[in-house]
Amino acid sequence: MSAAATVIETALGTAGAVRRTLTEVLPETIFDLEQQIDERMRRIPTRLNEYGYDAWGFHPDTARRAMLFTALFYRYWFRVETHGIQNIPPGRVLLISNHAGQVALDAAMIACACLLEAEPPRVIRGMGEYWLPTVPFVNELMVRTGSVVGTRKNCIDLLENEEAVIAFPEGVRGMNKLIRERYQLQEFGQGFMRLALETKTPIVPIAVVGSEEQAPAIWNARTIARLLGTPAFPITLTWPWLGPLGLIPLPVKYRVYFGEPMHFEGNPSDEDEVIGEKVMDVKGRIAAMLARGLASRRSLFW
Amino acid sequence: MARAPVEGPDELFHFAAAGTAPEPRERREARRAAEPIEKLLITGIAGGQGRLIARRMAGGCRIVGVDRAPWEGHPAYVNMHVLDIRKRKFEDVFRTERPDAVVHLAFVRHFRGDPELRHEVNVLGTKRVLEYAIAHGVRRMVVVSSGYVYGALPDNPYYVNEEFPLNVSRTYPEVRDLAEVDTLATAFLWRHPDVATAILRPVNTLGYYTHSAIGRYLSQRYVPTILGFNPMMQFVHEEDVAEAVALALEGGLHGVYNVAGPGAVPLKVAIRETGGNAMPIPEPVARAVFGQLFRFGLYHTPAGAMDFLKYPCTIDGRRFETATGFRPLYSLTETFQSVCPPLRP
Repeated sequence: MSAAATVIETALGTAGAVRRTLTEVLPETIFDLEQQIDERMRRIPTRLNEYGYDAWGFHPDTARRAMLFTALFYRYWFRVETHGIQNIPPGRVLLISNHAGQVALDAAMIACACLLEAEPPRVIRGMGEYWLPTVPFVNELMVRTGSVVGTRKNCIDLLENEEAVIAFPEGVRGMNKLIRERYQLQEFGQGFMRLALETKTPIVPIAVVGSEEQAPAIWNARTIARLLGTPAFPITLTWPWLGPLGLIPLPVKYRVYFGEPMHFEGNPSDEDEVIGEKVMDVKGRIAAMLARGLASRRSLFW
Repeated sequence: MARAPVEGPDELFHFAAAGTAPEPRERREARRAAEPIEKLLITGIAGGQGRLIARRMAGGCRIVGVDRAPWEGHPAYVNMHVLDIRKRKFEDVFRTERPDAVVHLAFVRHFRGDPELRHEVNVLGTKRVLEYAIAHGVRRMVVVSSGYVYGALPDNPYYVNEEFPLNVSRTYPEVRDLAEVDTLATAFLWRHPDVATAILRPVNTLGYYTHSAIGRYLSQRYVPTILGFNPMMQFVHEEDVAEAVALALEGGLHGVYNVAGPGAVPLKVAIRETGGNAMPIPEPVARAVFGQLFRFGLYHTPAGAMDFLKYPCTIDGRRFETATGFRPLYSLTETFQSVCPPLRP
């Protein structure tokens, strides 16, 4: 009897402690973060209409709720360290980064850094895959948080409206690579450079260290991917073995390096070789920043 | 009859830079703008949009109206002809009235009747209007098409411009005639550079007089939407569309122009602002139910229209704004208020 009572008492005690944590410590943290996000959201230079939407469907009221969740990851899971955020120039800018980690959390962390740390705070406009608008709910979340379908016209319009657009020229080639290929930049697409030349937009190269180990993929099950119609089906240490829990990334330490803005000039419809050289410039800068970041890192987790 | 088609000068291709035409477009438009309009023919004048355009143009020129339906108590300055544009007598209006400007609005936009009727009135009707215009010396022409012709597709960019393909029939075949009308008018536009032809593609038009599908949709108390979708939509007030038509006429505009309104909001905001309640329905259910209801004539709109509730069909109106200085007079809020609850059946 007394043993059972002890167990119950301990359980209640633990429950009490958990509840205390949940109701006292966490809310404080969440409340602080919420206030910070609200304060910074108010200062973003994006123009909104009388209903609080921008021309591309971005809605700060929705975005700040999504951002709170992202910011918890940013602060407490990945404990993101940003360097050189002051390199983001005011007005139009194209952010170009390496891409890894099976799930596009690197984009979310960069967006979070730009909202929480940049001066003035910026909303990062993502260029979504073409199938995203067909997914119920996801399409709306994507648009309300500032992203759009990645068409040329959308990108040009956003840049001409002095927004900050992010692009991952490696695309899924980078995101779904295996753990043994980590930090090896894959082939870069050229579209971003042509757009930068056309709209005279400075490029800020970004290196993300950490994302490449957040979900170590050991194998890409191409057959399953083909059956499901997805670009890849990575097998990681936890996915799909643990079900949805397997999607939780490892709590690696993120380091995000923002390089100095690069200005390019030239004809946006030059031949691939000419554009390719400029693309290699950007790729080289990212590779160098990655190398420096990796060299200064002491551990994967802190 | 129609004169032999002539090759349009390079400057008429809006995707090419201004070519080596003898008279630049700006100068020609300025010259045309200086010429006054003597007599304006409005087809489909008894509809809401037609009445508004007549009112807007009154005083500046004489107005002749043609409509299948009578316009009870029409103002004295409108010389009204109640006739069907498919009938022979329609050409007599051109012959006897000799208008020098035409606004073509006579379209069937609802689905209540026979699909054949839609085709006859919309496509064949437009063709005849264009032929008569050439045969009887019309100098200016405005065809009011619509922004829907671009279609609502998942990979649409926001703010498509006038070069975007007319994709509407890909997912909404019932309105392919509207895309065809637009194409006919565009072909006319560059075959006849001496007739100032403006094709206007306005966004969702709301207002007291205009009976648009979107207006009817929004004025329901419970408005069906597709679960998990909430696209951005642009709206414009009917008087602003009338103003746009007037500006195109007065400016002697020659080209295809999107007419965007004061801005865009998500569909559900529009529903809320017009006093309705969004009723989200899972897509498969909605397609099955409304598809069948439409088939048996119990619902007014085919299921193809559902894509406009899922994906954006938003247009870039900058070309028209630059050409005419057009700025919508009505804000979004005022535009929504024009679909007021008292109008509900």
